[in-house]
Amino acid sequence: MTFTIVSLLPTLQNTNGDAQNAAVLAQRARWAGLEAEVVAVDDRSTLPDRVDAVVLGSGSDASLETSRSAMLGLHDELRRWGTEGVPILAVGTGWELLSWGIETAGGRSIEGLGILPGRAVPRDGRVTGDLIVKSPLLGVFVGFENHARDYVGAEGSPLGRVRAGAGNGRESGQEGVVMGAVFGTHLHGPVLAKNPGFADHLLGIMADRAGLGYVPGGRSEEVDGYAMAARTAQLRAAGVEASIG
Amino acid sequence: MRAGSLRYGPAILVGRLTRFAARLRKPGGGSAVPGLVVNRIAPKYLKRTLSGFPQGLVVVSGSAGKSTTTKMLVAILREHGVDVFTNPSTANISQGLTSALLEQADWRGRVPGDVAVLEMDEGHGALVMQGVDARVVALTNVMVDQIDRFHDSEMVAGMLARIAARAGEAVVVNGDDAYLERLAAKLGPDVAVHRFGVSQAVLDSAPRGLGYTETSARRLAPGDGLVIDAVDGREAVLNDRGVPVRAGLPARGIHYAVDAAAAYATARAVLGERFSPESAAHALSAIPAVFGRGERITVRGQEVEFVLIQNPASYQLNVDSIEPGTSDILFAIGSDVRDPSYFWPADAASLERVKIVSGSKAAEAALMLAYDGVAIDRVEPELGIALDDFLAAPAPARGVKTIVFSADSMRRTRAHLGLTGTE
Repeated sequence: MTFTIVSLLPTLQNTNGDAQNAAVLAQRARWAGLEAEVVAVDDRSTLPDRVDAVVLGSGSDASLETSRSAMLGLHDELRRWGTEGVPILAVGTGWELLSWGIETAGGRSIEGLGILPGRAVPRDGRVTGDLIVKSPLLGVFVGFENHARDYVGAEGSPLGRVRAGAGNGRESGQEGVVMGAVFGTHLHGPVLAKNPGFADHLLGIMADRAGLGYVPGGRSEEVDGYAMAARTAQLRAAGVEASIG
Repeated sequence: MRAGSLRYGPAILVGRLTRFAARLRKPGGGSAVPGLVVNRIAPKYLKRTLSGFPQGLVVVSGSAGKSTTTKMLVAILREHGVDVFTNPSTANISQGLTSALLEQADWRGRVPGDVAVLEMDEGHGALVMQGVDARVVALTNVMVDQIDRFHDSEMVAGMLARIAARAGEAVVVNGDDAYLERLAAKLGPDVAVHRFGVSQAVLDSAPRGLGYTETSARRLAPGDGLVIDAVDGREAVLNDRGVPVRAGLPARGIHYAVDAAAAYATARAVLGERFSPESAAHALSAIPAVFGRGERITVRGQEVEFVLIQNPASYQLNVDSIEPGTSDILFAIGSDVRDPSYFWPADAASLERVKIVSGSKAAEAALMLAYDGVAIDRVEPELGIALDDFLAAPAPARGVKTIVFSADSMRRTRAHLGLTGTE
């Protein structure tokens, strides 16, 4: 059996290297002795038969409509994956497109795919910088955020509480949204490499669904040492006690 | 011929004194401070001086390649006997520009030169260029760069459009860059548009494309602009209206050929009838190897190759250019790369093994390399220690000792090894 990890719309939705999270999942699976491949899917015609996880990155505001039309072609699949518990990681505008909808600062309103609760609304200026989030289930998330919109309506099931940075904003003190195994977050870039516990959580779900066991490989341990060092440095830079990491 | 006027005498004097004081405090340093002071007490000095060169102002901007393009353009113009004022690439924002002007200014603030050729930071350029008239603006490309500052390509293109809007005579654009083509389509009818680009054969020879955010769907025909017909090692063949022009490059790589084409096309736009393809080719071929990008030097008795990475595209191109199987690689990322996320789409698997990963972002760099499947022997955040140990190790089993670094790590490496001469 080979894990198939779909990198959704990697051409349009990969501003900050978010799509590389698919490669991180595949690499960790291989380090654990499992076979895995990443399949880039830009439309239905390239959709593989088997889908074990989906990664959808962030794009530019100019490509929101184009990405939305492309995703509408996969609306049924996205709904089905969400219901069946296939892990989906959606970052930035990719997440926003899976929500109920997006309101831009320019007054545009874009209907979302309705896979995740909540909607993206304009915030007062763009926020960029460190984003540190504490999740009751998955520990501390360390990463970067870069977005021009807040997110409302995620209060029922956020990813976690913000320890540093803006997150969902609107004074919610929260970041991200989770529904089943569908995760939306502002944490951009290689969030799964920087937060190996999160990656292993997703790989655990994938393995369970496939009737396999997942135990992180020896190489993961070594590489997670680099992740730990990078996390510690960033926690310090963000003014958060390293002990919470 | 001079640009400037008597009214700035006092401000210039203060600027000079500030420079003198800054140098007493920190020899060789403090270069932006005098500019900061003069900009404060004589806010119009920069604009007036920039607009005052008898043969006008030429501005080079874009995401990548602007330093090299500027240097090449200046060399071509000087080869034609033009007296050129230019800024060092480190001084491409307002204070730095004013400081660079002060370096050359007489006591009244007048700066000698027929023409000014300025490398302009794409972020600050739009602001610096307010109220400044340029003759020609050359734009290299739009790439995602330094995401702390530039959130997306749309934003970069918008800033470049504001710089381009200051051009009175001509705008020179990379025809292979779809963002720049769209920008050029919106320019007024009074402004000429000149293009440069690669042939389909050259594009096909680039395994990962040109690295622009969006590459144009079609290539330029020889009638549309200056086309790079071929790139072979350190030589490029430019197709100038059907005539082949051979020019040497400062290093291997298609991006150097594109920089050379940008400089050539811009020089033609500036010089008009006076332009000579032979002089241009001669000037390009005479440019020495660029520091820190594929440059080979001898340090502590051994040959070392320096490879500078500045953005995802140059990272990919430069990593690809490292001889496969090279056994001794030092990889250093410094504090200039605040968030390395945007380097992740590039693939460094061809490095196979890195001896030492270093710099203040060593852990982030190691994480990225590890997921590309690169083996890492050691992580040593202290760059000085890493350099000493790397250079003290026995001669490499294969290839030359190669140091891959970000701009900040490059400066620290140079300082640590006592190397002089900067870009």
